[in-house]
Amino acid sequence: MELDNTQDGSRSVSNIYVDRSQLKRSQYVMSLLQEGQRVGLINSREAYRIQAGIIEVLQQLIRRYTQGESTSVTSETAEGIMVSLMYAMDAYALHFMEPEEAIAHLKSENVKTMHAKGVELLRQYFEDAKQLYQDVKKMKLDVPVDAYNMTIDESLPVFMNNYNIIFEAHNTMASIDYPLAIDDMRLQGVFYIKQYLERLQLETRFCHFFSHQDLMYVLTNFGKICRFDYRIELFNIFELMMNNAVFSLLSGGDVNQVRISENQYNRLNRMLTACHADQRAAVIHEAVDRLQEALQTDQALTRYMDLCRDELIQRVNNATENGSLERLVIREKEEREKPMVLMLNENERMSDVQMRKLVDRIMESDNTAKKVRLIRDHFASLHDYLDLLNSGCLFGDEYHALFATFEDIELAIFAKIVFYEEMRGDVRDFPDIVADGAEAASEWETHYIAFMQQLDDERIAAIGRLIDDIDYEEISFY
Amino acid sequence: MFLSRMFNAIQLSPQSKTMVELLDLNEKTKKHGLVLTPDDVKTVIISRNKVLRDHGRIELGIEVTKELVEVFSTSPYMDQDHYVDTLNELHEIFYYLRNETEDKIGDMKLIHMMKDVFDGPCAGSLELLRSKMEEFAENFRRDMMRRESLFEGDE
Repeated sequence: MELDNTQDGSRSVSNIYVDRSQLKRSQYVMSLLQEGQRVGLINSREAYRIQAGIIEVLQQLIRRYTQGESTSVTSETAEGIMVSLMYAMDAYALHFMEPEEAIAHLKSENVKTMHAKGVELLRQYFEDAKQLYQDVKKMKLDVPVDAYNMTIDESLPVFMNNYNIIFEAHNTMASIDYPLAIDDMRLQGVFYIKQYLERLQLETRFCHFFSHQDLMYVLTNFGKICRFDYRIELFNIFELMMNNAVFSLLSGGDVNQVRISENQYNRLNRMLTACHADQRAAVIHEAVDRLQEALQTDQALTRYMDLCRDELIQRVNNATENGSLERLVIREKEEREKPMVLMLNENERMSDVQMRKLVDRIMESDNTAKKVRLIRDHFASLHDYLDLLNSGCLFGDEYHALFATFEDIELAIFAKIVFYEEMRGDVRDFPDIVADGAEAASEWETHYIAFMQQLDDERIAAIGRLIDDIDYEEISFY
Repeated sequence: MFLSRMFNAIQLSPQSKTMVELLDLNEKTKKHGLVLTPDDVKTVIISRNKVLRDHGRIELGIEVTKELVEVFSTSPYMDQDHYVDTLNELHEIFYYLRNETEDKIGDMKLIHMMKDVFDGPCAGSLELLRSKMEEFAENFRRDMMRRESLFEGDE
């Protein structure tokens, strides 16, 4: 909410000014009380009456919380209920256009009534959020992006099913992974979820202007450019689509185009490099306007795109100055035939019982060579290998002995796992990445990194080439 | 912390509601040979406030203190010499139990359970009562966790 709606940040009611810059969105009523007292809109007796009223409502809520079974709660519970109470009071105060109007109500109404009205407003917002969620679910994009799918299919229902308007109204409940293009993380509870869903709906509507193939084109090439598996990464789909649509327009493409040819890219690169920052801002501004006009975006979407436009200008300016435009403009990355498609079949995994027996046998064995032979004779699937390595049944040099029996391709597959973070979006070559090492998540990874580092350069380079040949999408790591 | 100060700090002037209500209980308890003086009431309340602070709890009234006085005054093991100390210890055990049973058992039920164990297996020993109640809380939590994991299994 924009509180500061006058030029000097103040507005007068009966000649008394409230300084909007002193008001806090997250503790609205408290800041109204403070600011109201400072400017003389509320006297100390009134402030005391309001505070005493709040405490009285808190007592009633605590009794309601314990259902009359107890007269005491833990401090954390009491504080939580207090925050929830104030959240509802804030909802009530915020629904007045002007803070002076809210102050007038704080002074004239009793706290219990205001709290009840606040709760009623929250109930309405919650109903709105439920409706929005149904809309978003209906128009959900068919894309294999985990964060997007999980947020809609799993996280948001947690909120819808568990939101508690009375005792935990401020609690957002669900952990929302999928990032919006523009998100106001300062909001909490139903205010946050409602805003999240409104924006997600706008973003999804925008993406539906383009064909499914175009959407997938942008996603897969984005993954290739950043050298990561886009399906498990956190990024915003709308932003990629909008940016590419703007780049397409700037390089002579059609309005509803997101595909950018090599020629278009070169043209764009030349044009942006030749421009001054201000000129770049102006051309992007114009392109976004054209895009909005051509797609006939409604007021809400237009306003949202305007917010994203400034972000895009900033990014284009940075990328042009750093010479990293090719990472911002998504274009077809030469599809090199992946010569190796790994068939990692779930069915090849051994049963838990088999695994336990083998791990026991390995643990009992007192000879490294025997241990390694046992492993090599019985293990085939990557998942089984990972289970084995994570089981901690090998010690010190035994890891080295096991890795020494691996072929390059096997080492390459493990490199994809161990060096995933280092390889994603990194411009370094594989030998440099190995030399610099990685943060090991477990004991076996520490040994694996040490093992790789002592290999000769030629072998490391060969393994690095194999990594490029392995199709990421065929490996489900865990 | 501010809520704790606001709710748990009780006025203790001779005319205060707390003082009057607790002294009124003497009418009921004196037939068991138990009487609290105004100074005793002060000691009990100061100790109760400390227990609440130590256990991080917000108490809305003095119903629990009154119930402890009334219920335990009927115990054959209560005597005037140790009356105040016993009440202080009972507050300590009660609020410890409230936290450890995660507020799943009501005040009255908990107080009556303490009284039954105090009069029965503990034969008036506060040390034994404390250890029996610790045992109870442990079993209670274990059962609760088991029930929760069963529910999770259903999902």
